[in-house]
Amino acid sequence: MATANMTAVARRKARAPFHFNSAAHLIRIGREKAGNLSELLEALRVCPDESIFQHTFQTLREHHFIREGFSNDFAHWAFASCNEVGLAERLAGIDVREVTSIAALRQRLVDIVEDHLQQNPRARDRAAFEPFYFSASEVVVVPTPFVAQDLEEFADGIRHVSLTSIHFHFIDARLRLKLDSNDFSLWLKHELDVAAVADRINRIDIYTSTLHDVRRAILRFVQGALG
Amino acid sequence: MSDGKSTQDTMTSDGPVGVGSVVSAPVVPEIERRQRPRPKISTTPPAPPPPPRLQDYAPIIGQPELDELHFLAKQLHGKTVKMVNSTAVGGGVAEMLNRLVPLMNELEVVTRWDVITGGNDFFEVTKGFHNALHGGEYAVTQAVKDIFLMYTEQNRQRMDFSEDLLVMHDPQPAALIRSKRSDHGRWVWRCHIDLSNPNPEVWGFLRPFVDQYDAAIFSSPAFSRQLACPQYLFYPCIDPLSEKNKDLDESVVQKMCDDFGIDRSRPIVTQISRFDRLKDPVGVIQAYKLAKKYVDCQLVLAGGGATDDPEGAAVLQEVMEEAGDDPDVIILNLPPWSAIEINALQRASTLIVQKSLKEGFGLTVTEGLWKGKPVIAGAVGGIPTQVIHKLTGVLVHSVEGCAYQIRYLLTHPDYAAQLGRHGREHVKENFLMTANVERWLLLLQILLGTAHPQPPED
Repeated sequence: MATANMTAVARRKARAPFHFNSAAHLIRIGREKAGNLSELLEALRVCPDESIFQHTFQTLREHHFIREGFSNDFAHWAFASCNEVGLAERLAGIDVREVTSIAALRQRLVDIVEDHLQQNPRARDRAAFEPFYFSASEVVVVPTPFVAQDLEEFADGIRHVSLTSIHFHFIDARLRLKLDSNDFSLWLKHELDVAAVADRINRIDIYTSTLHDVRRAILRFVQGALG
Repeated sequence: MSDGKSTQDTMTSDGPVGVGSVVSAPVVPEIERRQRPRPKISTTPPAPPPPPRLQDYAPIIGQPELDELHFLAKQLHGKTVKMVNSTAVGGGVAEMLNRLVPLMNELEVVTRWDVITGGNDFFEVTKGFHNALHGGEYAVTQAVKDIFLMYTEQNRQRMDFSEDLLVMHDPQPAALIRSKRSDHGRWVWRCHIDLSNPNPEVWGFLRPFVDQYDAAIFSSPAFSRQLACPQYLFYPCIDPLSEKNKDLDESVVQKMCDDFGIDRSRPIVTQISRFDRLKDPVGVIQAYKLAKKYVDCQLVLAGGGATDDPEGAAVLQEVMEEAGDDPDVIILNLPPWSAIEINALQRASTLIVQKSLKEGFGLTVTEGLWKGKPVIAGAVGGIPTQVIHKLTGVLVHSVEGCAYQIRYLLTHPDYAAQLGRHGREHVKENFLMTANVERWLLLLQILLGTAHPQPPED
């Protein structure tokens, strides 16, 4: 019975195909710079959305090979340049999967830094070892030749696309979709009716996995459905 | 590249100096040390190998990543680019352009490379500018301005500026912006220099030219200045297929170590850099001595600069004095064309150290990271961009800190190996020639209007 179900899933055609895209990024040097935490707070309030995106979502791609100890640039700077371990821990705890807008993400960052400075006023103007330079990401979407009509083709695409493509659909997508989900899971659920696979993929922890791990996990869940 | 000077363009040509071997007598006095073998290295530069093809990078970066470059380039077919700098040979910029230009042309983005000309007086002025932009003193007299502008004018008359994108590298060709037309061509200033603390007089003279550009590119946010035009970040990069970075057969590495008298059965700690106080080679020996009280290791200091530079010779002398008669300190003064030797030494190393006190970008760090080696480096210049403390390597601020990290990493090989793995991935993601090609293609698309970057959704 299980085998029959698996075969049916393998034969199922999607209502709409999945087009694998990727993205190329160019970093623009920002105008904001922080030499201490109070300057960081001010810059967080006024920097462009592209800077918040760069130092949170994008930095995850740039450091995708690190499984632990790296979450976003703000947390790393608080730890390495300000020696503010508690603040670093709280900033690192921000999970970009839980935010669906840059405005919400910015507010979370501001709230955490503000709260920390209220509790630790002496940290406000203590000079950081190295300044924090804000930058911004300019993103150009790049199509790939991979298109999936069914689960087999989807697995093939996952196997062959670049890690940037995985990041684009699995992590960046949350901002586009404004949902607590990703492109892969949405397509699998709504176009191919494999909600269980979609759900398992959506629960892959990007903070304890590299993008290679994410690729392997998606393939494992899809292969499991294919039998 | 002035901000990312590689070892290759700074070494001297007097042949290697092993411990105990005869050094150029007038420059460095001979010091009684244990005899070591003196390997044979060509006394003249070997012919450069043909530049790699784009497809050669597929096994390194992946076919999908290469396909993305082709896609980005496809929308630029027929567009033309001109790169302008001040020298065709020698120096990091020429080295980089030698690799970049063929790759861009292979992608059918027609890219020409032109070199400005000038007399000795012009290059004396631009050398003064260069040093002053790093913070040194220089008087911008009327004569200096006249020389700079006269040669700029000569080059303007000689050169053609019909390309779609015109890229001027560093200050020497910066004033060619006077040829900018309002109806055609976008101009970019690629600054390889650390401009964080420029001499105000020199910068005040150059800035009106720079402000006319459509974009500027810096190697680090810390090196940039507030300008009227958008500024982009292009990291210096290494070519993984160059002689200095390509994979080597184990037999080549072993032979090189045998030739240099390096014992591969024991840990090897290596710093590759010219003999320059800012690289703190004496501090590295002191750190090694502190570490050696607890762990066994050899120290290799390999570089150049001790023959053509009086200060380099003095530093080498200090280094040899600090090393004393320790047979495990191996000092090698290599000629500038020792790319394979440097490559082999880095690959043979257990740890790579770059304990600089001041640094541009630090391409020797990039080279060490690319070889998957745990790197201990001074937290200066562009190094923290590459060495993310405790993630892709370790940063140090003192001799004692360096000594501790040598001890720690030699006694925690799993952790050291993880740093090495992460370091290599970091380079693969950000500091390879192919990443730079992608940045140029993106910049072209953005400036020429063939792509419109997507703002993050909000």
